[in-house]
Amino acid sequence: MKRPPMLMHMRIQGERKGFGLWLPLFLLLPLALVVFIILSPLILVAAIILWPSGWGKRALYTLRAALDIFWSMRGLKVDVRSGRQCVSISVV
Amino acid sequence: MSDNKKKILEMLAQGKISADDAYRLLSAIDGGEGRRESTSRAETAVKDKAKYLRVTVLPNPDSERSGNYDRVNIRVPMSLIRAGIKFTSLIPSEARDKVNLALHEKGIDFDERNMKPQDIEELIGALSDLEVDVITKNGESVKVFVE
Repeated sequence: MKRPPMLMHMRIQGERKGFGLWLPLFLLLPLALVVFIILSPLILVAAIILWPSGWGKRALYTLRAALDIFWSMRGLKVDVRSGRQCVSISVV
Repeated sequence: MSDNKKKILEMLAQGKISADDAYRLLSAIDGGEGRRESTSRAETAVKDKAKYLRVTVLPNPDSERSGNYDRVNIRVPMSLIRAGIKFTSLIPSEARDKVNLALHEKGIDFDERNMKPQDIEELIGALSDLEVDVITKNGESVKVFVE
């Protein structure tokens, strides 16, 4: 079973200034779940209305695929440096 | 039952070989099949172990010392690649037709709609054998591999 990502670390360093940011994804997940539960009746109604045009199915599939991508992000690491500048993103 | 086993039993029935010979031959076949099975299991395990696609660009030591260099280190989980490929089914048909046409103009007859889930798995499995190692004129080392 895949485990969801817990933390995201971002670091952007310019020529002079830079900043780093730790995002606690494990705290955002319950919030996202609450928002999803609140919005789910609206999503369901929108999906039913749009179903004949084909967009309803596509919207639901997009939601599922986006969740799947989020769940698979654990272990992602991007580190690009050019001289003193750097952009670093890692998901743990 | 394999063809080889059937042949051995037929030869035994026809009296061409003794019961001892048949037993030895059947044991040898079973041993061979067992070894093949364990080898394929090991290969599958190696493929399953491939967790990340790595892309690295390392500068040459001279430019690194001077501080004027580019360095790239990217690690993408295989599960993310798998999930990303699934996203391609959301590409609108108009855009997909344009992509197919552009590929066709380049001599590539490929339609993403023909890709089945097992093809995707096969493709990702084949990635575990991928290894690209290029050294540029500037001495930079570009590597693409799976770990």
